[in-house]
Amino acid sequence: MFFGLTDDQRDFGAAVREFLAGRFDLEAVRAVVEDPAGDGHPGALWTAMGEQGWLAVLVPEEHDGLGLALVDAQVIARELGAGVAPGPWRGTVLAAEALRLAGSGSQQQRWLPRFAAGGVVGALALRGCADDGWPAVEYAEVADVLVVVDGTGLRLLRPEEVATTRHDSFDATTRLARVTPAGSAGEPLPGGSPAVLDELAARAAVLAAADLVGLAREALTRTVAYDRDRRQFGVPVGSFQALKHSLADLHVGVTMAEHAVLYAAHALDTDPASSDTALAVAVAKAKASESALQTTAAMIQYHGGIGYTWEHEAHFFYKRAKRLAGVAGGVDVHRARVASLTLGS
Amino acid sequence: MDLSYTAEEEAFRVELRGWLVAHIPEEWTAPGYWASLPEEQSFQQRRDWERDKALAGFAGIQWPTEYGGRGGTPGMKAIYDREMVLARAPQTVNPLGLAFLAPTVMAIGTDAQRKEIIGPMLRNEVIWCQGFSEPGAGSDLAALSCKGVRDGDDFVVNGQKVWTTNAVHGDKIFTLVRTEPGSELHKGTSMLLIDMRQPGVEARPLKQMSGASEFGEVFFTDARVPAAECLGQIGDGWRTAMLLLSFERGASGMAQYTEFRRQYDEIAAVARHLGRDRDPVIRDKLARVLVELECLRYHAMHVLTQVEQGRELGFEASMTKLQWSETFQDLWEVFDDLLGEEATLAEPVPGLELAAMHAQAMWSRSVTIWGGSSQVQRSIVAERVLGLPR
Repeated sequence: MFFGLTDDQRDFGAAVREFLAGRFDLEAVRAVVEDPAGDGHPGALWTAMGEQGWLAVLVPEEHDGLGLALVDAQVIARELGAGVAPGPWRGTVLAAEALRLAGSGSQQQRWLPRFAAGGVVGALALRGCADDGWPAVEYAEVADVLVVVDGTGLRLLRPEEVATTRHDSFDATTRLARVTPAGSAGEPLPGGSPAVLDELAARAAVLAAADLVGLAREALTRTVAYDRDRRQFGVPVGSFQALKHSLADLHVGVTMAEHAVLYAAHALDTDPASSDTALAVAVAKAKASESALQTTAAMIQYHGGIGYTWEHEAHFFYKRAKRLAGVAGGVDVHRARVASLTLGS
Repeated sequence: MDLSYTAEEEAFRVELRGWLVAHIPEEWTAPGYWASLPEEQSFQQRRDWERDKALAGFAGIQWPTEYGGRGGTPGMKAIYDREMVLARAPQTVNPLGLAFLAPTVMAIGTDAQRKEIIGPMLRNEVIWCQGFSEPGAGSDLAALSCKGVRDGDDFVVNGQKVWTTNAVHGDKIFTLVRTEPGSELHKGTSMLLIDMRQPGVEARPLKQMSGASEFGEVFFTDARVPAAECLGQIGDGWRTAMLLLSFERGASGMAQYTEFRRQYDEIAAVARHLGRDRDPVIRDKLARVLVELECLRYHAMHVLTQVEQGRELGFEASMTKLQWSETFQDLWEVFDDLLGEEATLAEPVPGLELAAMHAQAMWSRSVTIWGGSSQVQRSIVAERVLGLPR
């Protein structure tokens, strides 16, 4: 029995964390947030992602990737969440996953090495259709390859085959756009079966959940640090039991969410079609979303007035949690799934 | 990640399962069977069964064979915990001894204590009680006043303990006693191993809100205990107690998950019987609990990994206690929600017999109190894990 991360996986996470702390800290995030007209896709960060293998993690070795597992990818996702980092990492990784799971041999050969190296940006849309368009697609404006659901299958679209319309979204750590087809149906991915769509949705849910637990842990750590120092009534506010007990509950919740995301990632790596895996994914996304919503709300509350200001970073975490809690199914959706899997539908 | 057990561990599972199937009569596994027996008979029957299990080699799974254990791995212990629940095996009659005293004895006892205590405990020749709480010392255990005065080679003990599991069946009691006159708080206490079968010790049952009497009170009136019958150093009882409680809080999440998950399924069956399983509010409440139950399962795997790697759990054990006890209580609150105007009835609709489940729901009120209340656990997590100031 080994439930946890290996030393290599920990080192991978630490490397992402150190890079962000040194080269893309909260000041850099703020620059993206305060430039809502910009594309939210800092070139230096993207280059680093490619160089450091963050985009190659799930691409098979035969296509110049690292051939690692979702357990490894969720390590990166957590750290990007902890850093509330902008950029199309998840969309690119998931578009590559769509090609890995459903693409033809030639599609894989053409695109996967370029995804792995950071040569192209990807986007994945699992909601919508050609008639209505695909809403709230992460970084669709800068994507070189868009993989979209259409009816019961998947299609690959190039930028010239779509029109994108930027959404005004209060989570400015990520750019979202509506995608509509522009006269071309693109090319189908031949392996886009319902089972593959389910697995892609599950992988998308786990990577969103990983981002959420990463940002929840960071929000909690920052709040605890602040409440140890901040003095009122002559003592640190963190010495008050009202805060202590709430923060303790949040710590338990975030820890359980971390376990759940790890388990779900491993379940998808080993047995993607089983009902235990389906349950694990629903549990992980529900728990991660709930914990992140609670923790980031507490981050504002337990910083007091400063936590409600624009100049403080709490709103980066809170707004990103609000958005990702709904991505790939919100708390209610996943609880309903848990109910169906354990009570019958 | 590798969530498998070794071939040796899986072989142990097969062997244990075979024994349990052959030695648990069908009628024992019916819901409410044990509650239907007179208390004395239930206790004796379980005591004998558990002795036979120990003699067959299925006890003290992780403890060395030289002390009567099986010499198995932490993985085997996790398998044992789960299989016992799956087989609906009788509940142990020596819970405090097995779960808390034994690991403490293995950690800090003398070799003689290990030999004297472990084997007889496994065979239920000695039923152990725990003497910690007092009327004036509950969550504030350090306020204890039960005192032991040195008299030659003995301590003479006077005072009262309360919430003592199996008090009326107990043979011996590991008791936190103030042995240094005038000492305060956690200083000057000793963990004495007191023989309850003596005139100076009186045990009385305590009737709980459920009507059952799992707990009791123990009164010491000039009870005698040899000073050598001390676990850890004399005067260092607090350290012994804290070590012991760390085993309590880290108690097997795998067994708890297995049991609670079955209870979840039983509650779901009641919901179906009552036609409430389609109710979206009930479904959401049940799903909310199931999310926490599954997290408990993953957490148990995490804990098992830590144990296998020889890491100390430390104060993380408080998190385990919070997760299982709060989730267990939430689960049974959903059960109460199912029943509406018939919430209190033993048979809310003809043929649906719920007395045993009501008893579980009542019991759920206790689990967030004993072994360190949820409030105490939250303070521990906040101060010892998160580092918030005292």
